Amino acid sequence: MAEERTVITLICERAADINSLINDKSEVTDAPGVKVLKFPCSGMIQPLMVEQAMKSGAAGVIVCGCQIGDCYYREGNKMIRERLLGERPPGLKKTVDRKRVLALWLSKPQKDRFLSEAKEFLSVVRRLDIEESKKG
Amino acid sequence: MQEKMEKSNMFHTLFLVPEKLINKIVTSKYNPLYYHGALPQFIMYVLFLSGLLLFAYYVPTVDNAYFSKNLINAFTSVDYITNTIPFGAVVRAIHRYAGDAMVIAILLHMVRVWFTDRFRQYRWVQWLSGVVLLLMVMFIGQTGYYLIWDERSLLLTRMTVSALETLPVIGEPLKHWFLNGRNITNLTLSNYLFIHIGLSFSLLFALWIHYVRMTRPVITPPPALNYLLVALILVAVYLFPITETKMADLNLQPTNMEIDWFFLWPYYILSATGSAGFWFWITVLLAVLCLIPLPMFYGSKPVEAAEVVTNKCTGCRLCSLDCPYQAIEMVPAPAGSRFKLLATVKSYRCSSCGVCVGACAFDAIDLPEMPDAQVNLKIKELLEAK
Repeated sequence: MAEERTVITLICERAADINSLINDKSEVTDAPGVKVLKFPCSGMIQPLMVEQAMKSGAAGVIVCGCQIGDCYYREGNKMIRERLLGERPPGLKKTVDRKRVLALWLSKPQKDRFLSEAKEFLSVVRRLDIEESKKG
Repeated sequence: MQEKMEKSNMFHTLFLVPEKLINKIVTSKYNPLYYHGALPQFIMYVLFLSGLLLFAYYVPTVDNAYFSKNLINAFTSVDYITNTIPFGAVVRAIHRYAGDAMVIAILLHMVRVWFTDRFRQYRWVQWLSGVVLLLMVMFIGQTGYYLIWDERSLLLTRMTVSALETLPVIGEPLKHWFLNGRNITNLTLSNYLFIHIGLSFSLLFALWIHYVRMTRPVITPPPALNYLLVALILVAVYLFPITETKMADLNLQPTNMEIDWFFLWPYYILSATGSAGFWFWITVLLAVLCLIPLPMFYGSKPVEAAEVVTNKCTGCRLCSLDCPYQAIEMVPAPAGSRFKLLATVKSYRCSSCGVCVGACAFDAIDLPEMPDAQVNLKIKELLEAK
């Protein structure tokens, strides 16, 4: 195992308020290796961005929007959810490993939930990395 | 941004805590807080249906000379509905309590929209039409109380007339319109009935304006919530049956009345402050409601509208279909283009949310603050930084 790869979080700035969790390098302090990029709305996230992150070497991608039904911009979280599930064009490519994509729908006060999910996801994708490096 | 932070503490306890709890119990799919706008719409249908049943037996007169043996007028017809018609009392009580539920639902909708900061900039049309809708609902509810024609109705009528009379210039004509003549006659009650029903159907028109800038407005709560709401109304009907009142007597002046806090609070202001005070406070209240979305109160930066990259747009329409505020219009592509259509952004409707960016498979639409290329660059940077 050469190096531990990074997990990219694409998060809506109105979903779980994780400002207090991240340091100045946009990294989650309690889960090193999880890095955060904020969007005005999770509906802005393109499946293409998820693919791009994977191609550029991310171990996994967390997509986080608000609670389904409570998007500030009305339907953004539903749209990215449907795109990730391939139910709405443009969908996420079939070649993307679904095990390495985590979608979370969290309202503003749910930062603890975010942290625990992110930690778990990080360990899951790192285990996948190890398994795959043994195989290949 | 600063202002938002201050509001968020209150917001937290008032909405987020119950929201989280309800999400835990019934999941977000059935959280009534996520259907605050759809609930009044459903209640409106309950009111239409129960109102239709009441309308079948209601006689809008003060005194009907054709039935000299038994006085048949508004009050006795309401009495007949309540005491003789099977389930008449239930339907009448449903109509009243659904009205109260309507006011509660609208207030919940209004307060939540305000707390979650979803009323200004590109949403001002929705807010202002909402204020108009609230006014209409209040007036419809009040005319409902006039229609019963008991002592309270008479008192309310006289109070309204006295308030209208103090208005300069338009006061007299308004009074004549309100009473449908110079005095209280049979025509007065038919006017009330016309206002009550006519304005109710006008709600549909106002709702159209309320929804016109929104794509796929959420107007139907899940059936489970509807059943629950109807059950709650029925519980209220069972626990608080409508009490009997006395018929209005034009020769007497009733002075006391039970106040219905949902619809009749303006009359409380009227009796407490007199006509001049009443008009003053109502004007202040309306002005505040109408001025709330003014951008200058929030110091918010103007929205930087999304921009179409003209040479990349294929005219596939995905962004215009997904835009939550109908801000993207497909226009014929300029001559020489390989495609038929071109997306154009109506910047005054744009919220700069980026949903169109997520919808575009060709990177042909960008937020000026956060273009696609920059997002991908940032992702790379994050991955390379150690």
